Amino acid sequence: MNEWLERLSQLPQQWFDSPVAAIALTLGAYFLGIRLFKLMHRPTWCPPMLIAALLIAAVIALLPIGIDDYNRGAGWLMLLLGPATVALAVPLYQQLPQIRALWKPIMLTLPLSATLAACYAVIIAAVMGAPPEVLASLAPKSVTSPIALGLAEELGGSRALLMGALLTTGVTAIFGVEWLSRVLRIRDPRLIGLALGINGHALGTVRAFEISSVAGAFASLGMSLTGAFTAIVLPLVWHLFD
Amino acid sequence: MSVLRGFLWLLVFLLLGQAAVELFHLPMPSGVIGMLLLTLFFGYRGGMNPDVVHVSQPLIAMLALLIMPGVVEIFFVAGRFADQWIAIVTALIAGTLLSVLSSLLLMRRYLPASDVPGNAGDE
Repeated sequence: MNEWLERLSQLPQQWFDSPVAAIALTLGAYFLGIRLFKLMHRPTWCPPMLIAALLIAAVIALLPIGIDDYNRGAGWLMLLLGPATVALAVPLYQQLPQIRALWKPIMLTLPLSATLAACYAVIIAAVMGAPPEVLASLAPKSVTSPIALGLAEELGGSRALLMGALLTTGVTAIFGVEWLSRVLRIRDPRLIGLALGINGHALGTVRAFEISSVAGAFASLGMSLTGAFTAIVLPLVWHLFD
Repeated sequence: MSVLRGFLWLLVFLLLGQAAVELFHLPMPSGVIGMLLLTLFFGYRGGMNPDVVHVSQPLIAMLALLIMPGVVEIFFVAGRFADQWIAIVTALIAGTLLSVLSSLLLMRRYLPASDVPGNAGDE
């Protein structure tokens, strides 16, 4: 009996030796997160992603495994991030005529918007006395995660803090776009999509696809252009002040 | 099979994107370059490959799921930034709301009004 219990207690560790358990946990938390989200009457301030991340954190804290065991397995799932990013070519191509007609105003406003997205947060944090490591983790907060991770590394930021910043930014951007577009009486799906993509990276883009395919395509455009622009400009500007 | 064929297309363009990143020292991830290359390829062919369209819908819907694992880590290192969390949270929330406001105002000012009246509310 005792021997059996001992084997049982080693089970979680053995499960997480292969990526299967981490992937199952992630998928399970994702669907449970969506269900809880619906039960809570879809609060804009608490997306299913946040609920799911909290569920995963709770499971890891309860089981005798560490965050590293989970990350090793979940890395396999994150391999799909590459092909999923390439797949955004489909909505982008579908909206190409619309985008081509608007490239001038987009090129005029997007660099400024992307710059402001990074500057506001860095300036507020700097004024409040945050050290350079924190500032470097906050600067790429509006950029889609594969680009942002590379940027934070280059600037000397923390990977984990950046991921938290990405989540907070995404949630706030979705809430902000929906609230402010109501206040400003903006109903144009192209504009709402662009604002979601520029400020709320992949999270905003996912939300934009829920609104309409036009909003989604413009969000993917906003997300990729913001990513490209920030990836090129941010390191240059950063080392100027360093 | 169509989904698998489409997936192969995505992987090939991801690899092409990686090749471009390595060869030209581009400061961008392979996925974004792959996406741009695939869009250009569709433009060159004058249409989309139905296999790619098939596989892209579930993958795009999965994007949020794919970011989630990275987020979990913050709950375990939050202690390290405990003395700065007020600055961090204020900067993120106030900064993001400000940038959303400025981008909405900028875009409204410079984007010509849509010919098709807004179809935003089809949820």
